[in-house]
Amino acid sequence: MPLDSARIHDVPDDLLAAIDYCYEQGWTDGLPVVPPSVERVEQMLQYEGRPSETVVAAHPATGFECTVHAAAVNAVMAGCKPEYFPVVIAALEAMNEPGFNFHGSTASTGGSAPLMVVSGPLADDLAMNSDVNLFGPGNRANATMGRAIRLILLNVFRMIPGVSDKSTQGNPGKYSFCIAERSRGNPWPLLVQDLDYPDGVSSVTVFAGGGFCNVENHGGNTPEQVLGSVADAMANYGCITLGQSAVVLAPEHVRVIAGAGWSKTQVKEYLFSQAYRTVDGMKSVGKYRQREYDKQHADGGTSPLIKDGQLHRGLTPDDILVVMGGGDAGGHSCFIPSWSRARSSIMQSKPIGVCIDCD
Amino acid sequence: MQLYDPTVTGPERNFRRAAALDTLDGKTVGILENGKLNAVEMLRETALLFEQRHGCTIAPIYSKTNASAPAPAETLESAAKAVDFLITGLGD
Repeated sequence: MPLDSARIHDVPDDLLAAIDYCYEQGWTDGLPVVPPSVERVEQMLQYEGRPSETVVAAHPATGFECTVHAAAVNAVMAGCKPEYFPVVIAALEAMNEPGFNFHGSTASTGGSAPLMVVSGPLADDLAMNSDVNLFGPGNRANATMGRAIRLILLNVFRMIPGVSDKSTQGNPGKYSFCIAERSRGNPWPLLVQDLDYPDGVSSVTVFAGGGFCNVENHGGNTPEQVLGSVADAMANYGCITLGQSAVVLAPEHVRVIAGAGWSKTQVKEYLFSQAYRTVDGMKSVGKYRQREYDKQHADGGTSPLIKDGQLHRGLTPDDILVVMGGGDAGGHSCFIPSWSRARSSIMQSKPIGVCIDCD
Repeated sequence: MQLYDPTVTGPERNFRRAAALDTLDGKTVGILENGKLNAVEMLRETALLFEQRHGCTIAPIYSKTNASAPAPAETLESAAKAVDFLITGLGD
């Protein structure tokens, strides 16, 4: 049921006029929205079992709270079908974990966007795209679920560009940044399995992602060659920090890597071991900080793969999220750096539509 | 057509400015740094000006472990007991 206290606007019974009204109220991300009619919002709410007034996320600095109802209104505006709503709710709950720090990652000059990675059977059930043009346009579920999160940040939490969102340049993912992990042809356990959720459960992982870095390698025929180019992207001087990483490997690259018998764990360890810069190199570009080096190397190092004189990306191999995604053809993987230069935002995961070990 | 408002009303919060100090002379100045590059350097230089111009005592530095999250309540409570006023600012 909708909230009794929800504010209702009476507008002319004209769809285009209603769209214009939403613009006039400042409720959009710059693109037209679906007017959040009472009927559509109520349909959205049918997919959440908890009362409408349930708070699913709260802003630590301003105290603004996102209820199930407010999330539903914004999901309608984004163009979500009602069956997408549990994914939006789970993503919000993941973002609400203190370790994710959605205030910082949204407000910062760093300009990140919450990347949502959906893993498990629900991705196919919702007809999400995990295949060709993975990060591109054309799929309603991917596009609108990611957009719903942005509209909630704008409308509920008032993370307004230029006011409380001070991104220096932002990134296109701030319109929508949502993908599905590809299960078809995937030789490795899915992310949801890595998370140890029960069989049949799907998950969403949120990651405060900076800009998208394409990793092209059509000539590499060994895991070391392919992953060497990924590691080089991860360690570029513009990106290297102690922060986490998201790596989406193209199926063509996965075939090379898994075909040689490598597991996902080996992939992470190799990437971590190779994604580093030397202390002198970091000094040469003015990015060396002793406290970061000490944090990584203290007490024998946060990982046995860390070498003296080197600054690695992240603290351990588990700081690297590795999933497969994209079309069959093309040696194009990608690396997405975390907004955080260290531990200010840590990726979070939640099961979708179910409560596991809840209080 | 009836549309739901996608925004929410903010919480009632009882924020108010602290009373101004009657003088800076001889007071204890605190520093809250956010861990970013050059934050400590910038704030220490600023605190030195208070020391030179007003005879202030500089308290040990308070640090945030997360630059982009609010300072923990215990940090602020501890600082409030130990200093007369606190300066903070962004690094980078």
